[in-house]
Amino acid sequence: MFRQFVAWSIILTLACTTVACTSLPSANAPSETTSPQASVSGSSASPQAPGTINLANGKYPVQQASYDDIDGNYTLMLLNTPPGQPAVTETTNLQMARLTAEQLQAGEKSYLNVEQGQAVLYLTEDFKIEYVHNVTENQVNSQTGQQEVVVVRQEPSFWTPFAGALAGQAIGSLLFTPHYYFPPVYQSGRGLVGYGGYGRTYGQAVDRYQTRYQSPPSPVRNQTLRTSGQLRAPAAATRRANQRTNPTQTNRPTGSGFGNSNLQRSNSPRPRTSRPSGFGTGSSRPRIRSGGRRR
Amino acid sequence: MTSWGDRFNQLSGRTRIVVCRLFIHLAGREVAPLLGLLNRVAYQAVEAGDQVAGDLTLLGAGLVDVCQALLQYDTYWQSAANEGDVFWDEGEAGDYVTELFTDSAQRYGSGLDMDDLANPGDPDEPLAIPITQHVIVMLTIAYEGQIPQLEGNLGDINALRTALTAIINLYHNGILRAIEIHYSPTQLGDELTTDQLILYYPELVPL
Repeated sequence: MFRQFVAWSIILTLACTTVACTSLPSANAPSETTSPQASVSGSSASPQAPGTINLANGKYPVQQASYDDIDGNYTLMLLNTPPGQPAVTETTNLQMARLTAEQLQAGEKSYLNVEQGQAVLYLTEDFKIEYVHNVTENQVNSQTGQQEVVVVRQEPSFWTPFAGALAGQAIGSLLFTPHYYFPPVYQSGRGLVGYGGYGRTYGQAVDRYQTRYQSPPSPVRNQTLRTSGQLRAPAAATRRANQRTNPTQTNRPTGSGFGNSNLQRSNSPRPRTSRPSGFGTGSSRPRIRSGGRRR
Repeated sequence: MTSWGDRFNQLSGRTRIVVCRLFIHLAGREVAPLLGLLNRVAYQAVEAGDQVAGDLTLLGAGLVDVCQALLQYDTYWQSAANEGDVFWDEGEAGDYVTELFTDSAQRYGSGLDMDDLANPGDPDEPLAIPITQHVIVMLTIAYEGQIPQLEGNLGDINALRTALTAIINLYHNGILRAIEIHYSPTQLGDELTTDQLILYYPELVPL
């Protein structure tokens, strides 16, 4: 009896230490910023480009690639994907590099390399990425009165990040190591050539883009400040004085709000069930998060 | 208290993100000037927000101003509420932040009075500017790591004071991931009545 207990506790301890010591397979581990206490994993990643690509490690020839500037999402059409995995894959977390002269001489074509969940696109000089430009507008949602970024129309174009003219630039050998790139500012009627920002980390690429153009790249810029209430209301309405002597009690009070966040959103319809980790003044009661309880 | 699930998440290198919302209700004739500060912070954010989005530095400075002002007005605190959750997945945390914004925004209206717009009042009517007796401020923040002062029941004055100080420190430590500030009423001249408080903010507990 005692021996069984000892045997089981040893097995349990071994299992725990095994989990603690090995890094988890990166197919499902989101890339995060390293927090002070969690330095075990050692994978440094960008603060604003999470999400590992949904593809097993390997090398896949690329047929076509497209970039959407509303959120910086790359859509890649690949060949030779293993059965069960889609041939078209999407990711916002993509590094790029140019194929070296030796690789080009050996006849290599553009390919995607996935390693440890990080996707790197190796491209030939003249590889054209389809570029979808979203023309956006700030509109007020008539139902909630809140400011929203709305895509008015899309304009197709293309982007050659490694066009020949750049080979002579100071960036030199950096071209052949994987970096995050942002396209240059969109110009309608002309294809985009080169890059607007680059960096070893996503944050660095954003910073370089910002230094060059004095404004963040589109995917970052489109995380707009949300406002509500009268903050962006037409001026005529805000200057009125309250002349009603008998306001009806069921009217909503006035209010304003604003906020921003740099958290990614998963946009998945998730049932809001009461979570054991919740806290607050109301947490002693079982909490059912539904719209109904507030009214 | 770390559960096995939390320890497991911590070991596998995930970041612990906490999203929490704080309601503070102030009452008294002298609380209306707080709206001036709140509006100033709001307009600064709107002015800058159109240029550099995703940047929490300016919003954070505004948040610090709001927290310091709230601490100065602590004799007028009447009731409060807080709620929050711990997340190990950034996507879920982001969704929750969006949900909280929408929920907070639904507690008040935009104040566009359709009657006033359709039938503009007689300009010679005497102006009556009521001073609101109540102001409510809703703060939602998201941060990385663990701050025990913010992760509990903040239904008493001392806990609330410690929490607001902790928020100010959060900004200076640079681990804020989301900031939302809502307040009601909008400006001097608008009122928040006791009935509206009870109707739209049922979770408040007296301090």
